[in-house]
Amino acid sequence: MRTAARPGPPISGRRRWAERVASLCVRVGGFAVVTGILGILAFLIAEVFPVLLASHVETEKQWSTTVTAPVLAVLTDEHRTHTATLAADGYLRIYRKGAEAPVMEEPIGDGRRIVSAKSVLGDTGFAVLAADGRIAWIPLEFSISFVEQTRVVQPEVSAPVWIATDQPAEDIEAFSVRHDATSTAAIFSTKDHHLAWIRISVEENMFTGEQAESVDRFDTQVSAAITEILIDREQRNVFAGATNGELFWWEVEGGALDQHATYRASEHAVTAMSMLIGDRSIVIGQADGSISVWFRVPQADGQIELQRIRDFPAHGSAIGLITPSERDRSFFALSNETMGLYYSTSSRTLWTGSPLLKGTTALSYAPKGDGVVFAGGGAVGLAHVENPHPEITLASLFGRVWYEDHAEPMWVWQSTGGTDEFEPKLGLTPLMLGTLKGTIYSLIIAIPLGILGALYTSQFVHPRMQSVIKPAVEIMASLPSVVLGFLAGLWLAPLLEKNFPMLVLMFLIHPPLILMSGWLWHALPKRFTARMVPGTELLLYGMIMAVGFALAFALAEPFEAQMFAGDFSRWLYESSGLRYDQRNAVVVGIAMGFAVIPIIFSIAEDAFSNVPKNLAAASLALGASRWETVVRVVLPTASAGIFSAIMIGLGRAVGETMIVLMATGNTPILDWSAFNGFRTLSANIAVEIPEAPHAGTLYRVLFISALLLFLLTFLINTVAEIVRQRLRQRFARL
Amino acid sequence: MNSKLERDPQLHNHRDLETVLEKPILAAESLSLWYGASQALKEISLSIPERRITALIGPSGCGKSTLLRCFNRLNDLVDGVRIEGDIRFHGSSIFDPEVDVNGLRRQIGMVFQKSNPFPKSIFENVAYGCRIHGMNRKRELEEVVERSLVRAGLWDEVKDRLHESALGMSGGQQQRLCIARAIAVEPEVILLDEPCSALDPIATAKIEELMQELKERYTLLIVTHNMQQAARASDYTAFMYLGERVEFGETGQLFVNPSEKQTEDYISGRFG
Ligand SMILES: Nc1ncnc2c1ncn2[C@@H]1O[C@H](COP(=O)(O)OP(=O)(O)O)[C@@H](O)[C@H]1O
Ligand SMILES: [Mg+2]
Repeated sequence: MRTAARPGPPISGRRRWAERVASLCVRVGGFAVVTGILGILAFLIAEVFPVLLASHVETEKQWSTTVTAPVLAVLTDEHRTHTATLAADGYLRIYRKGAEAPVMEEPIGDGRRIVSAKSVLGDTGFAVLAADGRIAWIPLEFSISFVEQTRVVQPEVSAPVWIATDQPAEDIEAFSVRHDATSTAAIFSTKDHHLAWIRISVEENMFTGEQAESVDRFDTQVSAAITEILIDREQRNVFAGATNGELFWWEVEGGALDQHATYRASEHAVTAMSMLIGDRSIVIGQADGSISVWFRVPQADGQIELQRIRDFPAHGSAIGLITPSERDRSFFALSNETMGLYYSTSSRTLWTGSPLLKGTTALSYAPKGDGVVFAGGGAVGLAHVENPHPEITLASLFGRVWYEDHAEPMWVWQSTGGTDEFEPKLGLTPLMLGTLKGTIYSLIIAIPLGILGALYTSQFVHPRMQSVIKPAVEIMASLPSVVLGFLAGLWLAPLLEKNFPMLVLMFLIHPPLILMSGWLWHALPKRFTARMVPGTELLLYGMIMAVGFALAFALAEPFEAQMFAGDFSRWLYESSGLRYDQRNAVVVGIAMGFAVIPIIFSIAEDAFSNVPKNLAAASLALGASRWETVVRVVLPTASAGIFSAIMIGLGRAVGETMIVLMATGNTPILDWSAFNGFRTLSANIAVEIPEAPHAGTLYRVLFISALLLFLLTFLINTVAEIVRQRLRQRFARL
Repeated sequence: MNSKLERDPQLHNHRDLETVLEKPILAAESLSLWYGASQALKEISLSIPERRITALIGPSGCGKSTLLRCFNRLNDLVDGVRIEGDIRFHGSSIFDPEVDVNGLRRQIGMVFQKSNPFPKSIFENVAYGCRIHGMNRKRELEEVVERSLVRAGLWDEVKDRLHESALGMSGGQQQRLCIARAIAVEPEVILLDEPCSALDPIATAKIEELMQELKERYTLLIVTHNMQQAARASDYTAFMYLGERVEFGETGQLFVNPSEKQTEDYISGRFG
């Protein structure tokens, strides 16, 4: 159809066939490229997408038991096959999932009723206040073994640790127990505002194996009626909330409870309190349904104060129970009408719904953070919790986040720490600014050199030299960046560290020297200069560079002594507080500049060479000098091409990985100083992806940064290409 | 074409070639030029009379453009060019080391075969040379631009769009803009290298008409290989062949009664 419509002589069969094959090849090739790029984009999006999935909580199994006594505390095992309940009748019962009758039923102590109990994760067990006023720690473990390939979960209850309070149970308002291998600490408060700390330590004699038990007790008064009290894992800090909304913090210090200032959450009573993993953050639920996270913050004056950090949407009624995850900083909060799942670091409400079981009296997160167990009104239930990437929100990726132990909200990237309790800090801002920093420093070097070099080569150099310079620069482009990075990191960086004043000196010596020699060259009689072999001036120029170099070398030491008091890095630190890192932005600027120069050079050179010669001729014929012609005609005419050269160089610098990886310390700090290192998005991916568990949050965040890089380079290249097309259209008529 | 010659009063006043050439504005003296090893101009001697139109004719590749570019030393920028002999401008050598080449080019303007306006506005194109030579005041520039465009016969066509891009003009307009640009710096001589070769007959006629007006003020040296054009529009004609100047004389004389065989063969279309 199309060929028939086209006028002109008929095309011979063979030619038509060849044309079809050629156009098919072009089309297939183009299509493949576009598909490839879209495929990469689709892959990145697919890897990032799960981040957007909502969390959900779903009841797996809920069943009634034969026991009517209210359940005070629950626990489950890693695989949620067994559920342990502690009821007010003083019995510990363990149920298989869905079983009405317990597989194990044991009285605690002498079968006395218990008044209050809490489940504790980590060193799993129950903290119990018995009716006789004693406090107990009841260790509970679920041991897992495999018998003939099937998993057998065996609950093991060890002997409780009993602590006498010498108070009747009804006088005790709040209590807490913390247990570890060598000691068990308890704290309780009474109706008459009395607070007592009791610690039982067990010491084993290394020679005899005898165990000696020692008990410390100290007491203090407190100004308000305590409702909730917590001991941290180190058994050093005690936090409590009161009926009047006040918060207290004591440190156990030299045989006494040392009280810090009193803090006030609001006038509403504190009704639930829990520590998040790591025992840094404290979640507080109050009678008005409000939920807040607090932690200790170092102040400007060196003091440490408890501070309200975040708030979560309040429930309609008092928060009754809070249970934290043992895996991350998420926690459940339960009130009569509402149940919510929250994440502290990202301030995210992950899920809310009505309570899984009406009248829940006990609630506990499953050890793996993938479920929750609850009990109440004779029923027991297990729910599945899915919150794949609770840390990630736009605000937590790009905004300032207030992390534990930090004095203020900050942009931080620190993906992994030594322990499970480490709070991952996944702020991309330091990396984006690192990318920007690397790009800026390398472009500071590459843009002037690349463009002026191209200008000189295309407009002033003898054609025979041109044909040497252009391939030489292209060879420079073909140098693998890993080699550049290697040289920069292992050779240039130490060299610069030793000779930084010399570099400064070179910047001071060379430009005037070059200008002066240029002026001298022109001042020489024409008769003399015209007779020289083309390229002589470049040779002379090289010699002048060498002279400048020698001069800088010779003067470096006196210069350093004079200007920098004999030691540059110390001078730098003392005069401006900047630290000189061996692998810093200057090193990267030079190394990456080296990689970017050839790109900028060759595109700019093309742009300059494409300026029609007859335009320059017209300018010269009007009496303009060569320099005026270059500045007023060649440069403006080539401006769009130069812009596109810069943009493509920018794209290269943004995406460059190996050089920054090897030539910076990869420290993800936020600092513009030329003497510091930094970490870029691309280097970060290279550094961290081998360590990132597949499909984990870190993995996804790395893909988010990859997507960012992709979009950024895509944008930069598109802008460059559009400008180039414009340029072509503009000068097509010339 | 004879009738045209008869009608030109100036030609009648200066019948005698010798008197016109007593003080030529430009004169090539035994000028030879080599591009590397190949010789493009051979011992050319040629005097250009002031305020006249001199045409250079000859077959393609005979060195007309090369000779033209010698007069404003545009060949300096071509690599491997070697020149012997001399060119005198107002009697002094243009190759003297003391000569300011840029100043020389200001006095000897040039219009190229292919119109080459800068990718700037019409105004900026015309003002370019003046700006280069240090004129910056807006009023002065406006005056110069208007005067040059008027002299180039372009004013009425473009006065309403002075600040639009020059690339939007027609080919003939662009070429006249180039002429306006060349005369804006007040040169004494204008070299025109086949200025009409890319233009249609109407645009060509306009430029020829313009040349007649310009000759009141400027000396024009035009390269053409269109003999009708040379005959119509010029006062004197030089015929070049293979790098040599074969004949030079009054246009009427040369076309009606050539003294060389080669000239006759060429103008009668036997080769070329
Ligand atoms: N830049 C150059 N380098 C080498 N040879 C050239 C150059 N310009 C012109 N020539 C040669 O010089 C001769 C004269 O060319 P030119 O002056 O352009 O002729 P015309 O303008 O009369 O057609 C031709 O043989 C041409 O090939
Ligand atoms: Mg020519």
